[in-house]
Amino acid sequence: MQSFSFSSLIPLLTFLVSFAVASAAPAADYHEQLNLKPLPQNSPSGQLQFPFEAHNFRFFPRSLGQILQHAGTRELHLRFSLGRWDAETWGARPWDGTKEGGTGVELWAWLEAESDDEADHKWLTLTNALSGLFCASLNFIDSTRTTRPVMSFRPEGDHPNTTMANMHLLHGVLPREVVCTENLTPFLKLLPCKGKAGVSSLLDGHKLFDASWQSMAIDVKPVCPIGEECVLQIEQTIDMVLDIERSKRPRDNPIPRPPPSHELKCNTTKPYHADDTCFPTDSLNAQEWNLNQIFGKPMLGNCPLTDPQTPPVCIQAPHTRDVFTSMGVEELKEPGNENQRCYLLPSNDEEFHLSLPFMPRDGDRPKTDADEFVQPATPLLYAERSLTGHGQEHGGVQAILTNPSPDAEVEFVYMESLPWFMRIYLHTLKARISHRTGSDAGQTLHDDDDVIKEIYYRPFLDRQRGTQLEIRMKIPPGSTVFMAYDFEKTILRYTEYPPDANRGFDVAAAVITILPSNSTTTTGGKAARMSNLRTTSMLLNLPTPDFSMPYNVIIFTSTCIALAFGGLYNILVRRFVGRDEGARGQLGQAAEEAAGGRAEGQGQSAREARG
Amino acid sequence: MSFQATAGTTGLFVVAAALRLLLFTAFPGLPNLLTGRVEISTPVTSFKRLQEGLFLYNHNVSPYDGGVYHQAPLLLPLFSLLPDPTIYPIFTYILYTLVDLLSANALFKIAESGEGGASRLYSSPRKEKRWSGYVVAALFLFNPFTIATCIGRPTSVFTTCAILHAVAKALSGNIFTSMLSLSFAAYLSMYPLLLLPPMVILAYDRTYNYKAPKSLAQLAGMCTLAVGVSLSLLFLSSYALTGSWEFLSSTYGIQLTLTDLTPNAGLWWYFFTEMFDSFRSFFLGVFWLHLSSYTPALTIRLRQQPLAVITLLLGIFAIFKPYPSIADTSLFLSLVPCFRHVFPLLRYSFVTASVVLYGTFLGPAFYHLWIYAGSGNANFFYAITLVWSLGLSLLVSDLAFAVLRDEWEVERPEMRGKEIRQI
Repeated sequence: MQSFSFSSLIPLLTFLVSFAVASAAPAADYHEQLNLKPLPQNSPSGQLQFPFEAHNFRFFPRSLGQILQHAGTRELHLRFSLGRWDAETWGARPWDGTKEGGTGVELWAWLEAESDDEADHKWLTLTNALSGLFCASLNFIDSTRTTRPVMSFRPEGDHPNTTMANMHLLHGVLPREVVCTENLTPFLKLLPCKGKAGVSSLLDGHKLFDASWQSMAIDVKPVCPIGEECVLQIEQTIDMVLDIERSKRPRDNPIPRPPPSHELKCNTTKPYHADDTCFPTDSLNAQEWNLNQIFGKPMLGNCPLTDPQTPPVCIQAPHTRDVFTSMGVEELKEPGNENQRCYLLPSNDEEFHLSLPFMPRDGDRPKTDADEFVQPATPLLYAERSLTGHGQEHGGVQAILTNPSPDAEVEFVYMESLPWFMRIYLHTLKARISHRTGSDAGQTLHDDDDVIKEIYYRPFLDRQRGTQLEIRMKIPPGSTVFMAYDFEKTILRYTEYPPDANRGFDVAAAVITILPSNSTTTTGGKAARMSNLRTTSMLLNLPTPDFSMPYNVIIFTSTCIALAFGGLYNILVRRFVGRDEGARGQLGQAAEEAAGGRAEGQGQSAREARG
Repeated sequence: MSFQATAGTTGLFVVAAALRLLLFTAFPGLPNLLTGRVEISTPVTSFKRLQEGLFLYNHNVSPYDGGVYHQAPLLLPLFSLLPDPTIYPIFTYILYTLVDLLSANALFKIAESGEGGASRLYSSPRKEKRWSGYVVAALFLFNPFTIATCIGRPTSVFTTCAILHAVAKALSGNIFTSMLSLSFAAYLSMYPLLLLPPMVILAYDRTYNYKAPKSLAQLAGMCTLAVGVSLSLLFLSSYALTGSWEFLSSTYGIQLTLTDLTPNAGLWWYFFTEMFDSFRSFFLGVFWLHLSSYTPALTIRLRQQPLAVITLLLGIFAIFKPYPSIADTSLFLSLVPCFRHVFPLLRYSFVTASVVLYGTFLGPAFYHLWIYAGSGNANFFYAITLVWSLGLSLLVSDLAFAVLRDEWEVERPEMRGKEIRQI
């Protein structure tokens, strides 16, 4: 198999296109899909999740291709994320968390370079170019925000062993970056239909960035199908959890107002429920919605460039759920899969409508939650991380990692990339474990050194690089591990603080890579992939100097030094004489004469008065 | 250990050691509390950072490839020998108590030598009025600053001990031991290197042979050579230990460039926090030049009293060095009682004492207001560091005045007790 290199990128793609046309091969070059998945509504409002998928070989965006070629990038992953995935309610993450990033912007790439310096240089080129392409501050990923993960990431593409040796993985995060419409526009421009038709025509910045959680992902990797030449594959994915109530809020009246009392849905089981007292129910069980409402605009037919065999819209709900679509749409139900149906659109430009009606819980044929939702899968691991301690001097980080499985242990790599001004003390790292099952169930925490299997630690250097901490851990079934360490907050130079210094500094999310365990490798006949999850980012408050008075401080300190120096200098250099000896300066003499004269005068007048 | 002490001092040492061990064991939270105090632990001496460096060293990560550990490499194997301080803290406590006792023993010898009142070239008219070594050592051992330092366990106690031993050995005429001790101090903290000129003069005066006088230049050359050789040996062994030279920039570079701006009792941190970036290196140069300018000036002016030069320089370092702490203040204050004879000549002793006490009590309070309560800002603590520095510098210049006036009264005995002025 010919090894794929970037220099042959453009010719190779041209060849593929002509080949596809000549033989009319059914092989998909580009497809896109919208996956709708109603989530259980334990939270006040219902959520949906919409992963978009766009596999693209033929229409590889040239702007991105040239950047990758110039920067020697073999594989690229870029994420723009907002919000927090509520794993307790929403269950396992879409794509096993492999297509999401921490809050803000996250970028990691495998670069081909002879040395670390060359890799750093190429990384700089890459971040600066991508910064322009995606209108994001990626150029702020400098050496202090770049790490070289050792255990956490694995290349997803097919790389020949010869190039693997020279590949450098670099990873950078901008937790403070606010993902917004200006990042969506270039994202859509990369698609063949540019958001004018097909699934991507649904995307609108107002709705996307109003989501409870959203993640835009771009993955570029080389793939080598067996017996064929290697090609470069780009996958663009958007996952979002929409709050139906909020999405249905009319555009001309977007300000949330409390509903009038007759529209309030009260929990009547509360003892204090009365005509004038209402405890709002936390579960609005049945929901009705349609595609236009929640996205704010209709889906404009099919993208003509997609593979016609791939259904563009799928919905993951039980077959008992009523779903209405517009005319001419073909519904596909996979025989074995009770919880999914897909829709093939006619190849015209007509708008596609999809609507899920209200399903009454009472009446002739009452429906249950099981008719409406697919219960989400339990994630392999729950993780949360928080800051502990008080004051702006010392602090701590505590990560709570729970393995919910009753019988399988989970092994994962926990990676933190911390800013340099968070001086962590690795010797204070402690893992304590609490078992929910077994002989010591419910017992208090106890130290356990067996949890942590391996630590990779690269300490920070002031103003040069951040801390990189990777911990491989194994949690037994039904246990919770509390991992904690101390750190010290640094006072920075006053020019290093952002304009709103007292807001605090964002600390990037911890990346958890769950390693495939031996027992699950064979499930589904596929090799088990690694799955990821990320904690939320943290807000770190640092002590601040007074920004208003650099001049005052310079003056005060200099005065203090001048006083000390001048005082000592005087004492060392000048000669001692008696109080009444030696030559006097003219001024001193005049002053003494004046003082003496006044005393004489006073004496005189006193005498006169007495006389 | 050989304590050349009387039964009285043995009793003193036992009481001081018992007090320290009692504080260590009766208040188990106290050592870690004091270790976290910025007045005691600085980035270059903190015990917590030492533990972190030790942890990294024991796990084969270079502690100098990180931003936490800025202390000398030889401390690592020393502390590796001790059992883990989190499990068996008593060994660390004993070590720090012993170091304090060693310092007190050196101080005892310094005070007993009488060098404060009478050196080779100069004999004070008031020299009978002095405190015995017993009193001086007791003032050191029961100084609250010293005790707090000992409990907080910064590595500056080793520097203190080395400096005091260098002085004590120079007084007893062991030039090479003295220079070795000074090299150790310089190796640990760098700034004691500035004590070399007065130390050479002190050693010269104490070994002066009237029958066959050696030249000062010759001795100075020998001493410089001795310090140079021992420092190079220390550096080479550090290199052998860590496998690279990066400890130099991490240990001494940080004192020169002040990259870590953790608050402390000194003047540098806030100044360089607020400094404009383009002037940073200029002012770093100015501050270091200022700090080193005192050594030649005092050495020349107080040629007859080298111990006074050393004392005054230690006072100046306690104010103006990049990362001062109360450990440096306690070292300075421990040598001041050797000049008991000039105490009547101090003009501002009440003001100085008040200002120092004011700073001592308000410093932690204002730091709390800034960092924890949030009701004050950085200027609160900064103002207290200014007051503290001014108070100490007043004490230094007042002591310099008293020593010089005492010298002057040898020429002019009739001026004793009269008012004077300087022209």
